[in-house]
Amino acid sequence: MRTGAIAVALLLGLGVCARAQVDDGAVTVGQLEGRPAPSDLSPLQARLDQALPGSTVVIPAGTYRGDLFLDRPITLRARGEVTLIGSGHGSVVRVRAAGVTLEGFTIDGMRGGDLGRDSSGIHVTGSDARIARCRIRNSLFGIYLRESSGTVVEDSEIVGIPGLDPGEKGSGIHLWNSRGFRLERNLIRDVRDGFYVQSSEGGTIRGNRVSDIRYGLHYMFSDDNLFEDNVFENGAAGAALMYSKRIVFRRNQFIRNRGFASVGLLLKVCDNVLAEDNLVADNARGLFVEGSEKNTFRRNVIAGSDVAVVLYDSVSGQRFESNSFVSNRTPLLLVGTRTDTVFRGNYYTSNLEPDLDGDGASDRAFTLGSVFDHFRGNVIAADLLVDTPAAEALGLAERTFPVLRKIAVADDRPLAKAPELTAVPVAARVRGAASLVGIVVSAGLMLLGLAGFHLGQRPGGAA
Amino acid sequence: MNLRLFAAEELKIALRSRWTQIFAVVFAILASGVAAAGYVISGGHGVQDFARTSASLVHLVVLIVPLVSLMLGVLSLSLERGAAEVVFALPVSRRTILLGRLLGLFAALALAQSFGFGLAGLLVYSQSGPEGIGDFVIVLGASFVATAVFLALAAFLSADAFGRRRTRALALALVAWVVGEVFIDLAALGLATLLPSGAASRVLILASLLNPIGALRTGALLLVEGTGAFGAASLALLRFTHGPAGATTLIACSLLAWTLVPAFWAGRRLERTDI
Repeated sequence: MRTGAIAVALLLGLGVCARAQVDDGAVTVGQLEGRPAPSDLSPLQARLDQALPGSTVVIPAGTYRGDLFLDRPITLRARGEVTLIGSGHGSVVRVRAAGVTLEGFTIDGMRGGDLGRDSSGIHVTGSDARIARCRIRNSLFGIYLRESSGTVVEDSEIVGIPGLDPGEKGSGIHLWNSRGFRLERNLIRDVRDGFYVQSSEGGTIRGNRVSDIRYGLHYMFSDDNLFEDNVFENGAAGAALMYSKRIVFRRNQFIRNRGFASVGLLLKVCDNVLAEDNLVADNARGLFVEGSEKNTFRRNVIAGSDVAVVLYDSVSGQRFESNSFVSNRTPLLLVGTRTDTVFRGNYYTSNLEPDLDGDGASDRAFTLGSVFDHFRGNVIAADLLVDTPAAEALGLAERTFPVLRKIAVADDRPLAKAPELTAVPVAARVRGAASLVGIVVSAGLMLLGLAGFHLGQRPGGAA
Repeated sequence: MNLRLFAAEELKIALRSRWTQIFAVVFAILASGVAAAGYVISGGHGVQDFARTSASLVHLVVLIVPLVSLMLGVLSLSLERGAAEVVFALPVSRRTILLGRLLGLFAALALAQSFGFGLAGLLVYSQSGPEGIGDFVIVLGASFVATAVFLALAAFLSADAFGRRRTRALALALVAWVVGEVFIDLAALGLATLLPSGAASRVLILASLLNPIGALRTGALLLVEGTGAFGAASLALLRFTHGPAGATTLIACSLLAWTLVPAFWAGRRLERTDI
């Protein structure tokens, strides 16, 4: 009875987590922050109020306190080190006109404002804005694009407020109802989601680095998007694609998402997605696919995960082709009892079948996962025995005498040799300088052992 | 005083034994292999932090160290009939002799493991920062605990094994190793397939806490990797034990019992055996 209660509680807990994943990212659109109160205004505001539309205003080096309000299409450019320190009562730079350009500013949000008002380093409601080479720190949202289509953010750096819970932070770059955006070569860390994209279509996200976040990239209800050459590192999910169609992504790295429920790449109710040449490495779970249709995964490297692919039986029409599954503890975890997912022509390091006819594929089909893996999908505590001789023995026994009813997911043309996937990026090694403490301790241990053995050999030794 | 004498003598003999020396070298090669593999894994696209390396080392330790401790323990503690007569004719209690010899053996095996871990550590720390140093110490500790547990079991198995019965003790030790490594987990898995999910989880958790090998593996991996070690299963385990303190207590009690009870019974049997 009690165990039943515990199991139910666990399941409920998981259910709540899964719901929370969707819900707490949703935006409640708050009222729009208007012109700051006079006492909050930056001394630069007077110059902006006099600028003619289309003109360029150059700000000399220095530190300026207070918020800015831009209501006409101008170019605002920093000469040298210009730091804008916010009033602490809301967004620091409020862009309320189309065609505004901001270049080279350092912006400090002073931890000001609140999430309900979307308080940001730069808050944009006009279209076709361009933000380049800006550094934003200590603000709830880094850059917020609200109904701001055609906007470009490039070469900027956003560092959130350290020490806050993910729920208390905003996203690095947050988009709502903004089409045709381009976000390139930005550096984002310590925020809730690196990029949060809601109801925004036809955008490009390229060459960014995002780390120490909840989700590196989070699409909600945003179709026809493209992201390439990004690095998403150390979060609850490298990228979470939800309720969006026709997303294409290439050459990204989803790496080191190591929390107990962390995922390299999460797809939830996403159809017609194409993933090519990505690196999904060193994650608790590599790919997690739920409630999605007709997605294609081609030429990706999925490496060093506890589970390479988690598939729910709510998915259909998934294709995995020419991927390389390297050193995962298990290639596939199927939650449920059936799948029509096609695995064909992939490489698996755990496939030891020979290729005697030399056609490049092993002579026999490769079954993804063993009866033990299936068991893991259904009994939570079975994970305690992962990698044990018992689990191996069970798998071996099943391969030798396949008497157990099989949930057959097999690759009928598994590659015999690792394919050369030259387009897939290579992760930078985590490689600190050599550790002196570590070396001293290790050398000490080794010498202790050696000395012990040496002394033991002496006649009548002093052992 | 007598205890120290026997411990020192046993340590000296063990350090001179070819078996111990071979173990030291082989263990060093295996441990360095695991450590080095941690850095080249995942086909050149790889990334691997020290926690991963430690986890692989834990699996190596719980496989090899029990086997070697059992084998070398039985080989040394079960004496030829003549030798046994000489040793136990000394005016020292049999329990003291046994305990001394166990301590000596433990020291010898610990030295051999230190050598291996030292070499592996050198490989790792010459190319990475110091963040894994705590994990390294945990794995070393787990290795020493494994040695203690399985030397105690070896003492129990060889308590009345003199002369020709040595072979039997050796065979029993091998059986004990296979049972601990594979059969208990297999039996638990088999039982779990027949039970509803909640009870199945309970069986698996108990199997991995009560079996000394399971307790070592579970404890060490949880210490090294935190709840990331077994995903949701970690949480199921912590819920079962009412939190980390409960898990620590259970694992510690399990390992302590597996060391003290066999050692105690070994002493008792040895005292009652007619040599």
